Amino acid sequence: MLEIKPILSALWRNKIAALLIALQLALTLAIVSNASVIISDRKEKTARPTGIAVEDIITVNFQPVSQNYDMQTAVAADLDLIRPIPGVVEATHSNHFPLSGSGSASAYYNQPSQETGGEVANYYQVGAEFIQAMGMKLIAGRNFDPSDIQVADLTENRESSVVIVTKQFAEKLFPEGDALGKYIYGDRSSHPIEIIGIVERNLGGWVNWSKAGNAVFFPEMLIAEGNLFMRYLVRTEPGQRDSVFNQLEEKLSQRDPHRVIEMDTIENFLHKSYSRDNTMIKVLSVVIGLLTFIIALGIVGLTTFWINQRRKQIGVRRALGATRAAIGRYFLLENGMIASAGIALGMAAAQIANRMMVESYGQPQLPLPTMLSCALILLIVSLTAALVPALRAANISPATATRNV
Amino acid sequence: MLKMHNIRKSFRTDTIETHALRDFNLEVSEGEFVSVTGPSGSGKTTFLNIAGLLETPTGGQYLLDGQDVSGLNDRERSRLRNEKIGFIFQGFNLIPDLNLFDNIDVPLRYRGFNAKERKKRIEKSLEQVGLAARAKHLPAQLSGGQQQRVAIARALAGEPRFLLADEPTGNLDSLMARQVMELLEFINEWGTTIVMVTHDPDLARRAHRNIQIVDGQVSDLHQNALGNEAATA
Repeated sequence: MLEIKPILSALWRNKIAALLIALQLALTLAIVSNASVIISDRKEKTARPTGIAVEDIITVNFQPVSQNYDMQTAVAADLDLIRPIPGVVEATHSNHFPLSGSGSASAYYNQPSQETGGEVANYYQVGAEFIQAMGMKLIAGRNFDPSDIQVADLTENRESSVVIVTKQFAEKLFPEGDALGKYIYGDRSSHPIEIIGIVERNLGGWVNWSKAGNAVFFPEMLIAEGNLFMRYLVRTEPGQRDSVFNQLEEKLSQRDPHRVIEMDTIENFLHKSYSRDNTMIKVLSVVIGLLTFIIALGIVGLTTFWINQRRKQIGVRRALGATRAAIGRYFLLENGMIASAGIALGMAAAQIANRMMVESYGQPQLPLPTMLSCALILLIVSLTAALVPALRAANISPATATRNV
Repeated sequence: MLKMHNIRKSFRTDTIETHALRDFNLEVSEGEFVSVTGPSGSGKTTFLNIAGLLETPTGGQYLLDGQDVSGLNDRERSRLRNEKIGFIFQGFNLIPDLNLFDNIDVPLRYRGFNAKERKKRIEKSLEQVGLAARAKHLPAQLSGGQQQRVAIARALAGEPRFLLADEPTGNLDSLMARQVMELLEFINEWGTTIVMVTHDPDLARRAHRNIQIVDGQVSDLHQNALGNEAATA
């Protein structure tokens, strides 16, 4: 028979200690459930598909020493040098590296000469082989061909007449789903740019951007006079990236030693881009672990203290007919009642805290299943923490009732 | 009611073995009121603990109400304690956080009675000890004598056939002690077998029979006047 009423009476007369544990549990639940939402959100974010072959792409960035550098010829020579290297799948030039944390963005419209109502997208000026070099999936339309390529510098307007866009961007600008073959326009521009292809996905340069995934690719080579630089993206066979990396550096330096070459990998960029998220996940996981450990310790401590205080009482209960199981059940139930009160309070606190975080920091909303899961886990932790002292209490001899000490 | 044959109880540490009871033999008939006396450390409390199934003997045979209790497990011993034995302790041993009603309710809950039955028994037993009006009071709000009466009411509520009292008047002044003793005598008159451990020779004399324990053995048995009267009756 469950002794709820006597336990409530006993707790009412020892309410400060019970209240402290309940409040600690409530606070723990409020923190743990909101931290879990943040962790889950960050995990979801870092696990998003990038749409590109992250692990197989090498990036090359170079700046020639000479200001009178024939960039167009150099690019053609470099790419001719890179492509035959064993393990290389494709190579291309690009004005920016996806996932690198840098890039350019502009607003695009589905009508000419607009200033508002468009959609902002990361834009890239890329070689004809960009789709293959990134390992992207073309889901509609056609790829670029070499005749599409325009050479541009920073002083002149781009004159591309074709563009490949991501599916996300296409759906935003053309919600009817009929973007292929339609025209987009730059800010206040009447120059039509035809969407010739749609790729499944590309997160673009900034993973933390709210519009990450809006990306457009123009078949252009940007030659910035006075600030000459060029970027290549080299995709390798799976597992060949590191060996190609070493050869690439050597061959490019040999072909033209009068330039500064920096090389990296898209995988490395991705790690850097998500480093804050990953750190947040680790820190919050440690916080959750520590809080759970502390609450478990608190419960073990309090239950042990109460049991030691009530040794004689336990002996009396045993003498009056309580079985070992009844004593163990009593303390588990007592703990369960405190935990339940704390958890009920904690659920309300978690909701209030979450509302504030949503409004003030744009954090995700706390879903009910997440909160209930955290509550259940804390209840299990509480009962498990109380189990060892409760078992010790169950082993107190009924003869304790007749002892004077 | 109670039959102990060659009961032994020893406590062992790494170096010393202490014999609390040695070849202890005792028989208590149904309806008897037996007092147990003896010097400190003679084995009175050990006897009481074994008689009340609070401890198991090291050897010997113990029959409680005709049932050999030697081989019983914890659950069976707890059930027997709950159903057949009532305890009255020297320090009252009421649960301080519970009011009188809830204190008396403790053994009844272990018995598995429903709420209605428990309420009826609690009210009746509080009535019997004259504390019906104080049911919602806490033990700390009562005098020592009243607390002991509550303890008696708790022992009575389960209607045990056998009452074990460990120095029931040890913490009371003489007036309170007399009242408690009178209450025990009433209970005995209703048919409950009582074994009472006491240091007080006057109280011991009021039982039907007095047993003296020395060095873990029954050293002397006295048939008191009341016992003779009871036997004659």
